[in-house]
Amino acid sequence: MTASTPKRIDWTAVRERMAAAEATLRETLEPSSQAHQQVLQQRARQMAQVPASDAAGETLEVLQFVLAHEHYALASRFVDEVYPLRELTQLPGAPRFVLGIVNVRGRIVSVIDIKRFFDLPERGVSDLNKVIILRDGSMEFGVLADVIEGVNLLRMSEIQPPLPTLTGIRAEYLHGVTAQRLIVLDAQKLIRDPAMVINETVES
Amino acid sequence: MTEKEERFLQRLLATFKVEASEHLQSMLTLLPELEQGPDAAAEATLIETLFREAHSLKGAARAVNQREIEMVCHDMEQLLSSLKYGEITVSPEIFETLYQALDRLQPLLVGTPAPAAPTTAPVATNPVPAGVVAGGSAVAAPASSASGPVAEATRAVPAEPVASETVRISTAKLTALLNQAEELHALKFGAAYVASEIAELSRGFAGWRKEWGKAGKALRGSRRGRARDLAAQVDGLLETFEQGDARLRLLDERLQRIHRSAEQERRSMAGMIDGLLDDMKQALMLPFSSLLELFPKLVRDLSRDSGKPVELVIDGAAIEIDRRILEQMKDPLIHLLRNAIDHGIEKAEQRSQHGKPAQGRVSITILPQDGNQIEIAVADDGGGIRHDRIREVAARSGLLREGEVSDDEALQALVFESGFSTSPILTDISGRGLGLAIVREKVEKLGGRIKVESQQGQGTCFRIVLPATLATFRGVLVSIGDRQFVLPSVNVERVARVARHTVSTVENRDTIPIDGQIVGLVWLADVLGLVRPRSDDDAPLQVVVLGNALRRIAFVVDAVLADQEVLVKPLGPQLQRLRNIAAATVLGAGKLVPILNVPDLLLSAIRVAPAGGAVQASAPEHQQRSLLVADDSVTSRSLFKNILETAGYRVTTAVDGLDALTTLRVGQFDLVVSDVEMPRMDGFELATQIRRDSKLKALPVVLVTALDSREDREHGINVGADAYIVKGSFDQGNLLEVVRRLL
Repeated sequence: MTASTPKRIDWTAVRERMAAAEATLRETLEPSSQAHQQVLQQRARQMAQVPASDAAGETLEVLQFVLAHEHYALASRFVDEVYPLRELTQLPGAPRFVLGIVNVRGRIVSVIDIKRFFDLPERGVSDLNKVIILRDGSMEFGVLADVIEGVNLLRMSEIQPPLPTLTGIRAEYLHGVTAQRLIVLDAQKLIRDPAMVINETVES
Repeated sequence: MTEKEERFLQRLLATFKVEASEHLQSMLTLLPELEQGPDAAAEATLIETLFREAHSLKGAARAVNQREIEMVCHDMEQLLSSLKYGEITVSPEIFETLYQALDRLQPLLVGTPAPAAPTTAPVATNPVPAGVVAGGSAVAAPASSASGPVAEATRAVPAEPVASETVRISTAKLTALLNQAEELHALKFGAAYVASEIAELSRGFAGWRKEWGKAGKALRGSRRGRARDLAAQVDGLLETFEQGDARLRLLDERLQRIHRSAEQERRSMAGMIDGLLDDMKQALMLPFSSLLELFPKLVRDLSRDSGKPVELVIDGAAIEIDRRILEQMKDPLIHLLRNAIDHGIEKAEQRSQHGKPAQGRVSITILPQDGNQIEIAVADDGGGIRHDRIREVAARSGLLREGEVSDDEALQALVFESGFSTSPILTDISGRGLGLAIVREKVEKLGGRIKVESQQGQGTCFRIVLPATLATFRGVLVSIGDRQFVLPSVNVERVARVARHTVSTVENRDTIPIDGQIVGLVWLADVLGLVRPRSDDDAPLQVVVLGNALRRIAFVVDAVLADQEVLVKPLGPQLQRLRNIAAATVLGAGKLVPILNVPDLLLSAIRVAPAGGAVQASAPEHQQRSLLVADDSVTSRSLFKNILETAGYRVTTAVDGLDALTTLRVGQFDLVVSDVEMPRMDGFELATQIRRDSKLKALPVVLVTALDSREDREHGINVGADAYIVKGSFDQGNLLEVVRRLL
């Protein structure tokens, strides 16, 4: 009846299999220091990779504002401050794009209308109540705005090359336009533009 | 070299530059004195001082590794030491050598190089040859080493402003400023006291109001109640009333006390601020000597170059003037000196022929004048300006018509004309030419004026009158419509009212008699390109007569508001120069008012189209009136625009209240016609905003609407509309009638 005797459990084999399983388990849960290192290095390599979407690069911190229903942005590092427009003193005889001067804590700042500076058609309605004061080096002036929308970080890759027909502004003054139709002006170009400086004389 | 060390050396060099230029300046002053041959004792002192200056400069130069300066100083020191010990005596050659050494020092100091590694430091390869000490005439030639400092000077440019923007201020002035600043503490306490008193008062009021409310409630209750305890209630109320009365007295007393202390505060604050401002201005003042000490050397050089012996006499050098004015006056004064010596002073032979001493004399006299002004007179005893030749050249260039009589003063003023001075003939004969126009422009830019006096054969004197301080000056505040402008008082010759019938047209230009002289008349509004505000046909004209060295013209303004001290503010870096506007000033509550540029105005006035303005102006009057129509309906807009334009008004349109408000803020309008129902901002709100705006609040507003209820009319009047026209009863006639009445 040996054949019919129930199969004896081979305890030795069981113990061996158990030990092997335990070793595998331990290796997985508590990897050897070498494997540990390998995993860590692999992770580090993964993390060190620049995400593909940001690869195109830099970002630009901009101040967004609305003027006559158009959305504009200017690099914030050229923005000195935003000042509420309370009283504007006009200067007779000044070029049309110079709207006047304002008193900013005892300092006089000239204020321009970029629509007029760029000869854009004067359509739409403005509620001019903010002055964005731009400064670069010793140059300083204010740009009129209807609404300030805040400071935002734009990826350069988001900014499409300018379409002059879309904005009416000459390409040289633009970084570009975003998909949301935000017109990103080149603040530095604007500030350093010799056409911005008024130097009139009266001929005798 | 670490960055820190580098910075330290930069600072050291900046300090050295200030020190070195003082030594140089002092030597430049002392040397001409020595040359004039003082007595023996004075001579010894001068040599000693010069020696010490050279020695100190040498030491300072060595400390910052400026080898070339050190070498030059060393040679000077040797020479002066020989003089001091009587080894040699003063001679023209010695002076020449010393002057040349100073000439070498000047450019070296201007371009003091940035600290260089010792190995690249320029080494003077050409010290003054020993022969000079022995009285020879050999002169050190700044030669091969020149390339060193020049190359490095370019690098040193960024460091330049460090030295040039430094201001030396006497400790006395600084202490005075500090004391004043400390005094401001008192204001802080004063303001805190007033604020706490007001807070106390306000608490008192709150308590009173609470009780008053209670009494009111009781009173209302008693009205509903029965009459039998009426007496008791009246007693209660009477008590409340008496208490209220007592409180009222208390609060009144308190209020008066606060008023008194606030008034006292205000007075002491005004005093302190004025004092501080005055002292601050004082701190910016420098004596003329700081500029004039350059001149003895300059005159000496000019005199040598032109071969004419000339002495320079300076008077009033201790008088102080704003540092910024002094800096601006340097070039004009040098120009005048050069002119005086080159062209004014005659050659020695010629002078003796006219019985004058062989040595010419040029003087600079500083004289304080009334009203915070200073006069600088630059005079020479040369040949003077020849009137006949001025007349001749003026006639040729068309500035003076043939046979036109012009008095001497007017004739002499012509030398400042820029077109005039370039004439070679004039430059030949009197020499006062090229550049005088520039001198005048500089002076006028500083708010001053210049004129010339000349006696033929006796000499010429240029008198420049300048404000002593640049920061503030007196200005006349005038208005055109609701705009205000400041005219510098220094250019305002007269303020007058003239009757319209005295205006007469001469050669197609309006003129008026002022003090027996015929003066051209223009409207300031026309010159500035503004709309002439409507005025009464019979009312006299308010004129301001402006003048400079060349011309005077009467400008018509609406009103002369004040003559006051104004603080000058530049227009900012963007507006480098504007036609007719020089700067701006802050008046009242931060309001900016443009300061007009009078020389520009006088030029612009000539360019304004000559029109018989005074008389004819009234006829097409309302054509110049500018109206704004605000309506969201295109049809209504064009209807109003059409009616009003036909009646001769200039019409601008806006699509709603917000648009209208914006347009009003940047434009110039005389009246607004607005619809009531509009998107974004309605007519009521527009009228409210207009009344609230400091600039617009006087603007007439006509509301046109379909709303014809009594409430709406009342609402319209409450928000400040001047007229309310209902569309139902609208016709062309009543709109025009209303507009005419309001304008």
